[in-house]
Amino acid sequence: MKYFFYRASTLLVALLFISLQANAQFQVSGTISDEGGETLIGVSILVKGTTRGTISDIDGNYTLDVPGSSAVLEFSYTGFKTETIEVTPSNTTLNVTLSEDITNLAEVVVTGLASTIKRSNLANAVSKVSSTELTGVTTQSSVDGALYGKLTGVNIVQSNGAPGGGIAVRLRGVSSLSGNNQPLIILDGVYITNAEIPSGSRFASGANSGTEEGASNRIADINPADIESIEVLKGASAAAIYGTRANAGVIIITTKKGVAGKTRVTLSQDVGFNKIQNRVGRRSLDSEAEVAEVYPNDPDAPAQWAAARAAGKLFDYEDEIYGETGLISDTRLNVSGGNDKTKYFISGAYRTEDGIIKNTGYDRFTTRMNIDHKISDKLTISSTSNYVRSSASRSFTGNENEGGLSYGYTLAFTRDYVDLFPDENGVYPNNPNYAGNPIFVRDNAINEENNNRFIQGVKLDWQALQKDNQVLRFTLNGGLDFLFNDTYVYVPETHQAQVGLDNGFIGVGKNTIFNYNYQLFGSYDYYTDGGLSFSTQAGISYLSFDRDFVLNQTTQLIPLQTNLTQGGTQEISQRIETEQEFGFIAQEQINWDDKLIATVGVRFDKSSLNGDPNKYYAFPRASLAANIANFDFWNSQDISQFKLRVAYGETGNSASFGSLFTSLSPNNINGAPGFVIRSQQGNPLLIPETSSELEFGTDLSLFNNKLGIELTYYIRQVKDLLYDRSLPTSSGFTNEIRNDLNLENRGLELGLTINPVRTSNFDWVSNVNFWFNDSEITLLGTPGNGTDSEDIPSFVPPGVAFGLGLGSFYINEGTPITALWGRDDNGNPTITGDTEPDFQLGWFNQFKIGKRVDFNFLTHWKQGGDVLNLSRLLTDIGGVTPENLLALEGFIEDASYFRLREVGLYYTLPFESDYIENIRFGISGRNLITLTDYSSYDPETSTKGGTGLSTGIEVTPFPSSRQAYFHINFNF
Amino acid sequence: MRKAFILLLGLALYTTSCTFDDQVDPNAPSLNSVLNNASLQELNLLVTGTEAAMRNGFGTFVTSSGSVAREFYKFDADPRNTEDLLGKNGTQLDNNTFYLTAPYNTRYRVIKNCNILLEALDNTDQVSAAEKDGYRGFANTVKAHMFLQVLSLLDDNGIRIDVADPENIGPFVSKSQAYTEILALLDLGFSQLSGASFAFTLSAGFAGFDTPSSFGQFNRALSAKTALYAEQWDEVTKVINTTFMDLAGDLGVGPKHVFSNSSGDIQNPLFKAAGQSGDQLVVHDDFIDNGIAGDARLSKFRARIATPSQDDLNGSHETALYETATSSIDIIRNEELILIYAEASMQNGDLDTAVDGINIIRNAAGIGDYMGDVTKEALIDEILFQRSYSLWGEGHRMFDMRRYGRLNDQFLPIDRPGDLIHEEFPIPLTEGQ
Repeated sequence: MKYFFYRASTLLVALLFISLQANAQFQVSGTISDEGGETLIGVSILVKGTTRGTISDIDGNYTLDVPGSSAVLEFSYTGFKTETIEVTPSNTTLNVTLSEDITNLAEVVVTGLASTIKRSNLANAVSKVSSTELTGVTTQSSVDGALYGKLTGVNIVQSNGAPGGGIAVRLRGVSSLSGNNQPLIILDGVYITNAEIPSGSRFASGANSGTEEGASNRIADINPADIESIEVLKGASAAAIYGTRANAGVIIITTKKGVAGKTRVTLSQDVGFNKIQNRVGRRSLDSEAEVAEVYPNDPDAPAQWAAARAAGKLFDYEDEIYGETGLISDTRLNVSGGNDKTKYFISGAYRTEDGIIKNTGYDRFTTRMNIDHKISDKLTISSTSNYVRSSASRSFTGNENEGGLSYGYTLAFTRDYVDLFPDENGVYPNNPNYAGNPIFVRDNAINEENNNRFIQGVKLDWQALQKDNQVLRFTLNGGLDFLFNDTYVYVPETHQAQVGLDNGFIGVGKNTIFNYNYQLFGSYDYYTDGGLSFSTQAGISYLSFDRDFVLNQTTQLIPLQTNLTQGGTQEISQRIETEQEFGFIAQEQINWDDKLIATVGVRFDKSSLNGDPNKYYAFPRASLAANIANFDFWNSQDISQFKLRVAYGETGNSASFGSLFTSLSPNNINGAPGFVIRSQQGNPLLIPETSSELEFGTDLSLFNNKLGIELTYYIRQVKDLLYDRSLPTSSGFTNEIRNDLNLENRGLELGLTINPVRTSNFDWVSNVNFWFNDSEITLLGTPGNGTDSEDIPSFVPPGVAFGLGLGSFYINEGTPITALWGRDDNGNPTITGDTEPDFQLGWFNQFKIGKRVDFNFLTHWKQGGDVLNLSRLLTDIGGVTPENLLALEGFIEDASYFRLREVGLYYTLPFESDYIENIRFGISGRNLITLTDYSSYDPETSTKGGTGLSTGIEVTPFPSSRQAYFHINFNF
Repeated sequence: MRKAFILLLGLALYTTSCTFDDQVDPNAPSLNSVLNNASLQELNLLVTGTEAAMRNGFGTFVTSSGSVAREFYKFDADPRNTEDLLGKNGTQLDNNTFYLTAPYNTRYRVIKNCNILLEALDNTDQVSAAEKDGYRGFANTVKAHMFLQVLSLLDDNGIRIDVADPENIGPFVSKSQAYTEILALLDLGFSQLSGASFAFTLSAGFAGFDTPSSFGQFNRALSAKTALYAEQWDEVTKVINTTFMDLAGDLGVGPKHVFSNSSGDIQNPLFKAAGQSGDQLVVHDDFIDNGIAGDARLSKFRARIATPSQDDLNGSHETALYETATSSIDIIRNEELILIYAEASMQNGDLDTAVDGINIIRNAAGIGDYMGDVTKEALIDEILFQRSYSLWGEGHRMFDMRRYGRLNDQFLPIDRPGDLIHEEFPIPLTEGQ
């Protein structure tokens, strides 16, 4: 392997010394503007078939030396149709008008680790979301939440409605059962963490695992307003170059950069509020007879209800807990600008958001400084620095066991005729029907976290060689992501469930995550006279992730004390995880005159998470794009682009940390330590799971680029899937990690971009995204369903649900991995639902009315996809299910919905002032309307957080909110 | 500048040449570390870990079987305690749910820990032969105790005994074979204990049972209990005198599970705070209605302050079996041994001895001598009655009722129309049977 690299780098370095003949040349100059006469800054002008080019300056002017006696110039600019114009020495002034192109063929897409490609030449369906789409309609609290409905092939599930995140993103279906099922996120070249860090509230609430604590995921720290664009590599064919971390896809985030020219200052202020999206309702009771009927074995209930009614003390506890209006404020200040050598973008933002439950909320303060500097003509350095301070107060929701903390759980057993409010002495009564009083918990218990985070990326770019027909560049980039997270859970000693047992609980987590990575690439582009061009890149990549999670708990508290020191029983647990990965990458791209574009590449990766940490695994890729419309025989005026494309690639995923080990867990009796076998049997021979994907499709641009169609079908096979198999527990182990499972995902993605009306006074652009995915477990153990003695019988994966009796996922050859199973009349496992939607459809519309009004909206329709609603199971037992839901059979419900996700109306007021350029006002909303038959708070839910299979199971979540905003924005 | 790049290239090449170390778990000791020449300290950690782990899941063992046997209702967060366990609307027991898997998995985890201890002993020279026998006698006794608990739940389904090798676990053996093997295991443990020495210390719960010979009496007590369940009455009579049974002694004597608020320790899972209805064992009203006035054992039940229902079930009393969250739980005590002795005597036709035993229990409870018919049938009723009050809430009644064919709606109440009385727990789904 060392030899391979040596060869590759020698080859690249040798190319430095290739000399070239000089040619005769002439100069062309001019101004570039759009159809409205506005000059365009930063348009790329390239002598076709060469590397020679320039970009237009801040006045839209350009000057370019052209070799030879004639040449074809290509003018391209994101969002505009590319123009190609022939020039000769007799025609040296060339003013160009570019027309808008809603299909964005000229957009540049990052595909390799050190290379980009024009969208028109791309062989994959890579979705790219611009800052306008991301944050243009309404203000966004988190990056992942902002992607809903805007991309094909993406399934986003909000597991928890608390402010500050809790979102799982799945690209093209489930790709992993253990390990990380979430896409790799790369922010300006830095592999950033998206961990869900539990607070340890489970030790007070009795929840089964950290995933049930409803923690937020740390992508929430990134300020969406800082983002220039997000590219999503959904499957292995596009993501192969990212190798062993890319099985669940890759999300590449690029932040905003400064533009040379005058200094721009933007101040924005959003004010809004959160309200509960949907109320489930409560059982209404109208007479003593009805009370006796609802609570039949409770002789005191009718009289208690009558007394409460007489005293005017019938409450609506759903409203008491979830009925708050949470204020939201988001303030942002950006300063950007620069000159030829140095460009900068500086931003500061503060967002504060109160939840719909009293004492919940989220605050985020971020600063960013992005600097690009030309050290010389050949050497540039870029630095992106981001500091984040965020804190969330999430209180207690979701599953629990007798902790008396989770609001929804408590409310399911709380009767509205019971007075739970404090008396004149401030003493909260015990809840007679459950282990906790939700009013007490709301007012007195704490579950919060703080994050201090610093993300730094650096990129050094050296153009070692620049000739007319060849360029050699070296790029070194890398960065670090340091997160210090602290969590604090406090449950007073007077909390009902604590009395006589733990007598109060304090949990303090101190968690650090430190990621760093670097990569070094050489890339060499070579253009031949015959219209062929070659783009070669080779490089290495290294990354290291360290995590150190410490949780301190104190119980048997000294009354009224909130400090870890103040209690009789103190306990510490620590978890350390380290991961390292190293890989070589080589890729070759051949472009024949933008007609045929072929790419082959391979990455070799090793990982400390694999059984053999020094064994390299290969992840190849190959793709071909044919731009039929660029061939000479094509003469249709209506169809400006007709591309056929096919791509194949492989990616991997290593087992999660700790899977290799069979360890002993500490325990204790009466102060004496002991150890007991851990329930997970490790496997020291694990290999990475690999996903191989074939995707093919076509891209069309019709009618002067007013209609764009992108159609893709993919088949994705995950081989050697790492999975947590439930073992016969008589072995003493409950689960083991295995590698013998294959999974297939197939899906269709259709993107339409339409520009039905385009006049100077009215412009309407509409995007329709339609997609679906189907999965099947194609192999479990050996072929056949558990008949052969070597085979693995079908099983319920550990920790994904609450047993087959209530409904669970079930790993069974030949059926979808997302299916929900229950029992038939004979007690045998049978499919009762499927969490995978039949299809999803996002519809995004942008209207420009006149020069001053923008109106945008996004709707999202999810058809199908079931949810197991265990909240209703609990309210049934507690006798508080509203009457209109009593007739529902079973607990699996169709969670289809149609939602007005985002809507915004803006007015730009020009300002005749030396200081203020314009002021923009707007109003917007999020999740204002939802149409669904689902009976609980939100058809999107996951009581087990974002990991593994765990979507579509509801246990009393934090209810989702709808948001409305007022915006004001000053441009100076 | 070029130098800088050469440096960087050098750095890159350096990285490629360095190899990643094999991963070592930074968070916990590995299993292999104790299987190779384990130190005395490691062996003792396994012993303490085993004793501590026996307590995990025991609460669910008691509440699952006790709910089925209508000793109490468990009012808490999980609806299945009042639905599945009581067969609400004909619901069968699920083979993939906590009320079965929690006790099942934890029992076998303890067995695994004992097997690890046994394997470690075969591979170490750090302790003497007599000390090894002490560890082995401990391990085999605990294993047998765990097997018996699993068998009590699964009954006619049988259990797996040969589980030492996770790659190659043995078959489910029938109930009768399981009894034979458990008795043989206890005998093996007992023989290992004789002449052995203990290089380990047990918790205060084993005070009085912490030497090879006194621990041997505990082993014999488990043997008597197993033989009783296996209906090997002669065997019971033979063994009972080698146990710590003391007809004149304190009924409370016996080894216990202890609990504390020490760091890492757990609390008594069966303690419930007074007046707390959301997490409570609500005593089945039958125990209140059928109690004999003056029976000291009625102090195990405490009148509830308020009596809200859950899932249409209700009761006037809650558990007061344990005083605090750190009260200990008896593993087996003199009281149970005397009841075993009485029952075996009755079954062997020695009715007078049986009545003597019953009277010891009755007088300790303050309800005077037995005055009923001295027939086998009458004494079965009487012994089951005494057992139900003496051993209430300790994980016996489901098995006692079943042993006499009474685990059904002729002998147990149906509180809601459509409820069922389950006879045994199914084999867990994960066993792949």
